[in-house]
Amino acid sequence: MRKFLTPKRQTWLHRANPAAKLALMILLFLLTLFTHRLDFIFYQAILFTLLLFLFSGYETWKIALLILPFALIFASSAATMILFGKGEQVWWAWGLFRISEESFFRGIHIGLKAVAFAAEGLLFVLTTPSVALFYALMQQAKLPPKYAYSFMASVRLLPMVWEELLVRRNALLIRGVRRPQGLAGLVAQAKLYAVPLLSQSIRRAHRVAVAMEAKAFDGNRPRTYYYRTAYSRYDVLVLLLLVFVAAAAYTLALLYPPFHIADVRYH
Amino acid sequence: MRKEIAATEVQELRLKFPGEAEFVFKDLDFSVQRGEHVLLLGPSGCGKSTLLQVLSGIIPDLVEIPMRTSAQQLPTSWRFLFQDPDTQFCMPYVDEELAFALENLGVSESEMSARMEAVLAKVGLELPELHVPIDSLSQGMKQRLALASVLLGDPEVLLLDEPSALLDPQGRKQIWQAIAKVAEDRTLIIVEHRIEELTALGLVDRVVLFGPDGRVLGEGAPDEVFDTYRSELAEFGIWYPGVWEEYFASEEGRRLLEPARNVRSTNGPGTVELRNFRGFRQGRPVIEAPQVTVRPGDWIAVTGPNGAGKSSLLLSLIGLLPTEGIYMLQGGRMETGKLSSRARRRQLERTSREIGFVFQNPEFQFVADRVADEVAFSLREDGLGTEVVHERVQVYLKQFGLTGLEGRHPYQLSLGQKRRLSVAAAAVREQRLLLLDEPTFGQDAANTFAILQLCEELRRRGTAILMVTHEERIAEQVATQHWEVRDGRIISLRKTPRAADPLAEPFAEREQRGRPEAEAVMTK
Repeated sequence: MRKFLTPKRQTWLHRANPAAKLALMILLFLLTLFTHRLDFIFYQAILFTLLLFLFSGYETWKIALLILPFALIFASSAATMILFGKGEQVWWAWGLFRISEESFFRGIHIGLKAVAFAAEGLLFVLTTPSVALFYALMQQAKLPPKYAYSFMASVRLLPMVWEELLVRRNALLIRGVRRPQGLAGLVAQAKLYAVPLLSQSIRRAHRVAVAMEAKAFDGNRPRTYYYRTAYSRYDVLVLLLLVFVAAAAYTLALLYPPFHIADVRYH
Repeated sequence: MRKEIAATEVQELRLKFPGEAEFVFKDLDFSVQRGEHVLLLGPSGCGKSTLLQVLSGIIPDLVEIPMRTSAQQLPTSWRFLFQDPDTQFCMPYVDEELAFALENLGVSESEMSARMEAVLAKVGLELPELHVPIDSLSQGMKQRLALASVLLGDPEVLLLDEPSALLDPQGRKQIWQAIAKVAEDRTLIIVEHRIEELTALGLVDRVVLFGPDGRVLGEGAPDEVFDTYRSELAEFGIWYPGVWEEYFASEEGRRLLEPARNVRSTNGPGTVELRNFRGFRQGRPVIEAPQVTVRPGDWIAVTGPNGAGKSSLLLSLIGLLPTEGIYMLQGGRMETGKLSSRARRRQLERTSREIGFVFQNPEFQFVADRVADEVAFSLREDGLGTEVVHERVQVYLKQFGLTGLEGRHPYQLSLGQKRRLSVAAAAVREQRLLLLDEPTFGQDAANTFAILQLCEELRRRGTAILMVTHEERIAEQVATQHWEVRDGRIISLRKTPRAADPLAEPFAEREQRGRPEAEAVMTK
């Protein structure tokens, strides 16, 4: 897994300060959130996905694999709005289902929005190691070290929980634990997994915490940082890149609108 | 009297865990001189680890437990090495973890790499580079890394809470060697059950022996204490030097060395027969058994380095890993090769009827809320009547020393009781084969011997036992056969002196008979 998630090459996006990148990404999220022009969101989804291929530093096949779930994200978020949304130009109705022109385009809009969000988020996650992010947040955003290190410690614990989950599943299979039918069975099953996993995790987290504090992690001294992070010209480059892509999406939406819908909201 | 400077001291310590009736310590006076190396011994749960935390100030500063002293002196500088190698790190990479300790001290980042390399060399941890994932290290290496990160604080007092309890013999040796190397000029306060390696190095000046009530039974130079309190040490389950010899000289211990000829029958089908058998994980072969046979009454110890494929062998036999080759269980041919998920499930139902499985961590195999229900679980699944189940459960609880604990939650048992319960619950169906994954790991001597005795009783009744272990004594003396696994392959099968009976010659005879058969299979 670790090998799979190691980028092939380092791009501008890797070299930018993670804290600055996080701020830019949040702005980008807001832009996407408040876009109501269907044509604009259409190009955002396409261009940010394209950016993943070009600037994440991963092999094309890995990106292709990682964006497969985008189809599911699109379908699931679009379907509800298409089938149940309000609208006057009814195309088709059957019982509770009612597809109208307005609801259809709003559904498409929401689906594309979800894809744009996913692409932006993936772009950030794939180019930012968690350790680098927390170091930058401590140094540039003045995040208290106790939160930063708690997060990093818990990231380390996650694979252990996963492994224990597999062990527990094997154990239950061997003991021949059959799941009773119905809701009660589901609750019993959840308990069978939750009790051992939680008790292990709580004990482990407690031990890690004591071990960390026993290494003079008390915040009484000024900290130094193994990884120095600072703002650099790469932050500006990434800013320009993202502004350029957003502007390109808007221009394309005005020049070549595939839908001709300036505002999908229902009034 | 020579006046010495105390490195750490408590007077009239009183401590009680919230909700418990008994005091852990009642008016305990304890002090350690500067530069002294002290070993604390005592039964599990007597409060040794708690005392270590009090002496360092972890209790009550970090862990809030009500306590009182009339006078206390904390060490000027201290560090703590804990038992579990997995829960002392907060960062994913070796260099980042060491950096965490240096950052806390405010060391400038230009000095960091040099300091890291120096401290890793000191604890004997040789790595190709500093930026190595901690998960890729063995448990023994992790523990030395933990020691390294502790040493970066250059502590005057080093507190060690069973640092070798969860390591294999090699890891134990290496961690104590590393500790001995850095012990000079430092005060050491050690809690440990496994003291053979540690005493062999002559690391300890003074031994303090605690009783179950948290009072000091006696103290003095190591040899003195070992001589005077021999029976207490045995009773408390301490792995003192010579504990195996003494156990083997006892009546129960002798039973474990008697020649094992009584139940083996060379005729008839073996319990397990494997020919060109392989188990796979994610499509890659992880264990290969060219040709082995397990017969009723065999006790097979499987040894090998971590990651060699010992656990994979057990999981392949129980049917949790995809396999290929020939696998005969109790004379019946098991399906191997590509299986549908239905066939897999059917297979697993069959293997779990005929094979008992004991996991390394008992807690993961518990499925019931009461000890008695835990033992009864498989019997009820088999549809046995209430009377029969009750009777059989009582017999097993008695045999495994769990009578009187029927109503407890399995999680509320002691470490040794949990282990015994997990074996009882796995063996209660009286299967012909019992697979155990490091059942004595992390157990004290008394519990280890208890488990071995229970396995021996099962073996004498004709159960075949296949046990993954790191314990040389078990592999070489108690077991009847010793299999070594290296790089995903069983590379050697040896009989131990126990099985040196000419009538019970499992290998020589089988190899003559077996070879052409195996070739025939291979040409297919």
